[in-house]
Amino acid sequence: MIALRRPRMSRLAWHEARSGLLFLSPWIIGFLAFTLIPVVATLIFTFLNIKLDQEQPLRFVGLDNYLALFGDPQVWDSLLVTLKFAAISLPVAVILPFSVALLLNSRSLRASSLFRVLFFLPYVVPFVAGVLIWAQMLNSDSGWINGLLGLVGIQGPDWLNDPSWVYPGLVIIGVWGIGGGIIVNQAGLKGIPTELYDAARIDGAGWWGQLRHVTLPMMSPVIFYTLVLGVVEVLQYFLVPLVLNQGTGEPGGTTRFYNLYLYQTFFSYQDMSYGATLAWLLFLITLAITGVLFWSARFWVYYAGETSYS
Amino acid sequence: MHRTIPAFSAVVVALAVLITACSGGNANSSAPAASGTPQPTGPPVEIKWYCCLGTGDDKTQLPVEAKVVDDFNKSQTHIKLVFDHVAYDGARAAFATRIASGTPPDVVGPLGVGGAEAFRGQWLDLKDLIAKNNVDLSVYGQGAVDFYKVAGQGQIGIPFAVYPSELYFQKDMFDEAGLNYPPQKYGDKYKMPDGTMVDWNYDTFRTIAMKLTVDANNKDATQPGFDPKHIVQYGFEPQRDDLRGMGAYFGAGKLAADDNKTVQIPTGWAYGWKWIYDGMFKDHFIMTNQVYKSTAFNGGGYAFNSGKVAMQENFLWNVCCVTDAGDNWDLGAIPANPTDNKVTAVFNADTFRITKNSQHPDEAFTVLQYLLGPASKTLLNAYSAFPARTADQADFFTGLQGQKTDKGKPVYPAKVDWQIAVDGIQYADNPNFEAWMPAYNKSLDLLTQKLTKWTSTPGLNMDQEISTLKTQLQAVWDKG
Amino acid sequence: MSVTAQRPAPALPFAKARTTRRRSPRQMRDSFLLTFVAVVLVAGFLSPLLRSLALSFQTPEQISQVNAPLWPASPLTFNYEGRDYPVYKVPINGTTREMALVKKGRTESQFVDPSNASAGLITWQGGWRTLEPALTFSPTFDNYISVWSLLNYPRLLFNTAAIAVIGLIGTVLSCTLVAYGFARFRFPGRGVLFLILISTIFLPAAVTLIPTYTIFVKLGWVGTWLPLLVPTFFANAYDVFLLRQYLLTIPREMDEAAAIDGAGPLRTLISVIVPQAWPVIIAVAIFHLVYSWNDFFGPLIYLSTKPDLQPLAVGLAVFSANRSAQEPGLIQAGTLMTLIVPVLLFLVFQRVFMRGVVITGVEK
Repeated sequence: MIALRRPRMSRLAWHEARSGLLFLSPWIIGFLAFTLIPVVATLIFTFLNIKLDQEQPLRFVGLDNYLALFGDPQVWDSLLVTLKFAAISLPVAVILPFSVALLLNSRSLRASSLFRVLFFLPYVVPFVAGVLIWAQMLNSDSGWINGLLGLVGIQGPDWLNDPSWVYPGLVIIGVWGIGGGIIVNQAGLKGIPTELYDAARIDGAGWWGQLRHVTLPMMSPVIFYTLVLGVVEVLQYFLVPLVLNQGTGEPGGTTRFYNLYLYQTFFSYQDMSYGATLAWLLFLITLAITGVLFWSARFWVYYAGETSYS
Repeated sequence: MHRTIPAFSAVVVALAVLITACSGGNANSSAPAASGTPQPTGPPVEIKWYCCLGTGDDKTQLPVEAKVVDDFNKSQTHIKLVFDHVAYDGARAAFATRIASGTPPDVVGPLGVGGAEAFRGQWLDLKDLIAKNNVDLSVYGQGAVDFYKVAGQGQIGIPFAVYPSELYFQKDMFDEAGLNYPPQKYGDKYKMPDGTMVDWNYDTFRTIAMKLTVDANNKDATQPGFDPKHIVQYGFEPQRDDLRGMGAYFGAGKLAADDNKTVQIPTGWAYGWKWIYDGMFKDHFIMTNQVYKSTAFNGGGYAFNSGKVAMQENFLWNVCCVTDAGDNWDLGAIPANPTDNKVTAVFNADTFRITKNSQHPDEAFTVLQYLLGPASKTLLNAYSAFPARTADQADFFTGLQGQKTDKGKPVYPAKVDWQIAVDGIQYADNPNFEAWMPAYNKSLDLLTQKLTKWTSTPGLNMDQEISTLKTQLQAVWDKG
Repeated sequence: MSVTAQRPAPALPFAKARTTRRRSPRQMRDSFLLTFVAVVLVAGFLSPLLRSLALSFQTPEQISQVNAPLWPASPLTFNYEGRDYPVYKVPINGTTREMALVKKGRTESQFVDPSNASAGLITWQGGWRTLEPALTFSPTFDNYISVWSLLNYPRLLFNTAAIAVIGLIGTVLSCTLVAYGFARFRFPGRGVLFLILISTIFLPAAVTLIPTYTIFVKLGWVGTWLPLLVPTFFANAYDVFLLRQYLLTIPREMDEAAAIDGAGPLRTLISVIVPQAWPVIIAVAIFHLVYSWNDFFGPLIYLSTKPDLQPLAVGLAVFSANRSAQEPGLIQAGTLMTLIVPVLLFLVFQRVFMRGVVITGVEK
């Protein structure tokens, strides 16, 4: 209110900074106590030769593990597998919850709260149980999906054993996990001021116009969130194939995801150091992709309460 | 904040190195107790019994194990035995984590050769403890004791249980098909429906199995018009847990040649794999992988237990869980390989082991002796395991036969021929199919891949597949 | 992006009246179509659960019957000379009679007529497998009873609930505070710290498992709930990220108004931000609840020596662990018994979710 001179601003700014850091303190403390040490430890592992049985003495091996990494064809095969799968599953992971949330939010829908519960229901099913249930549904002989296709005369594929169909099969298994995404998208949709829709309608926008000019921009923070988490999750995808086929990578190596190879290196081959090296490569890749996403955010993510984040 | 970070990071790095050194190292962190019996005074020593890298997980077995632990703790005060139970699915990861963090469990079991090989090098050589405690190993057959003497690692186990293989079959299905039951003595011939006596080998077996494979129209696999897409009863189910075991039923062998570096495919195994492949995709008396996984046939568990399979080859431990197969099954002889007329009844053996880095080996050994001694009868019963101790063997089957469900019904059919299982011991596969090979876990992964492929994919050229396996496995071994 | 946020309208005390508007025929048709689509989607989405439900009431014999129907069905049996025999619908002499199959044969079989057992065995030519069994509806509650007693269900349920609720409190408290810090305050290194926060989820858990486990061993926390609960009070990247995204969409007008009135940062958080962020806070609570309820690996590793402290997810694993005898009925019953509680809680929470939206005013 009074003309602010520099020293005054910096004291206010200092107050703000101090408050901000104070609010951050739970995370900072927890990070230092529970996260930083294990993370640094794993980084150190990459420079040693730790194996479970440790038949050779523990010693510093420098960059050996990293060199092995670049020469290991399985690493690049697995990365390719992960990326191919991401091409199919990531769009589904982002678009499907958004669409269902739109549907649930629509004023034309009757009994929407009932539907909300029903769509959320499978999200609560324990993970392994859910995978096994869907594996039965996709069974090429006795599964319901092929049964349904058979009713309309289509010979259903051998979902989980045919290399051409295993990724769609895995995506189908993953569909039960969209409950969380539906909630997040719904919370976001509820946060859009209704006056915006009114204004758009007055301007003559129909359903599609409202979607393009009101919903999508206002939902961009949520979509951004779903996208970033989707990327991280797909890069770490491994539990479903592990449960389905104990990590053999069947059919034909198409389910040898990178993180699965990592898990096996740790717990089957018991090479802790090489496993840690694989993990750090994954870290860097994830960091790179996410970094690009964050940089791109300034072009398409719109925050009403803050200028966009850099 | 900025100023403090470098100093803090130094502390963090130091801590990390410390943890690494403590957990990743191989040093035996605590010296064994002074010679003589453990001190009877002082706070109780906690010994962890880790389960289950093998059997021991079943809901009928867990209460038995809990009671054994309880009884042990009540019988003395120096040791507190704790049952560390991690379900089989997470057991290997949890075990590896405990070892790597420097807190290995002390006693592990029951586990067989496969489970132990997955953690090769982690087991304590019991030689000194055996000598110190004057354990008499002559109560077990010499072969059983030698089974656990591994080059380079010492005597890493004391025999506890053996599981020979036998043929399980459903009497009703044979009756319905008008067939005679399989022979119940090794060496006996088999009488075909037309009266001729033939050798009991895999050729005969194939014919019988095809007759016992029936579709929804009551046609069997030998008849024209048989519909392989609607089979409701299968003739035979092999032991398909491990590709090596599958092959070993057709002849003993091991993948590592004597130089421990070169891959060799035992002739019996190659014969067996091809026989089984034809059985699945040509003659249709063995179910494919897809059918195996469907709930109609026990959803990925042993298909014989669905009650819709006429015969299976399996280990004796399967007896624990075959009760869903009905109350009219019996045991018979494993067929011989027609090319050399030899029978191989594949062998599994379980015992408890002590981890190399256990912090209380003496107390762990006391627990071990308890499990192998006073508690052994109860445990063997629960695991449906045949005692390795020769003196206990006679009573074993009486015990099994006397088991009753909690509703009072006998668990096993009244007249099972248990003797044929015992007879199978002399046909055990030597070398054992789970024998060591280089890059054990990686090799096992490759073998499991092949197993899935060969049981799911029609139209393969098996000779080519086997030769590819040889090349690929050699590549894995060469990389080390 | 052609629309900018306008000044919010004054808050209305009740929800926008959408149901009081008269529906035009076109709206009714849209509504019907949309609802129909939703019904179809939900049916497909949930159909496997229907199968689970059906299986949970069946015994292993019922499940492995040939052509077992979806509903729990057992073959009708007839007791003849001391043994029970299954009853089939047999076409004989021009009519179909229900008879008990006594002796199976490939080309002919022998039956006994339950209504005329003294007449002895009747031989019938044909394949018995082509006959339809006479089935009765016979659900069993054995699976549920087994799960209850084998697992010590009440105890495990309590454990699961306790772990979930305490963790929920920790998560909501800590994540709200931290997200508020990131969203509303400027301080040096904010960008770097946020990046570090997000990047903590880039390393797969398998890698940090061993060092983390070692830390907890050295602290003596293994065998207690502490490794599962204490970290929740120190915020986690997923929920902070979500909350921060949402908080950034809340306009600052009311913040500034409160500041003018002399409210400190904490006061502003409690009386201005939280009421507007209610939906996403509830979302965070729900997520943590579900995550914790089904969390399997963490409790498995840390609580393996203490069956009395284990949550349901670990207890259930025993049923699917035995590879010899998979019991689909038991597994399904256990699964349903595990998920029923979070579902009921969600039913309650989601009303609050809706009501929270209304209370904050329809500008949102």
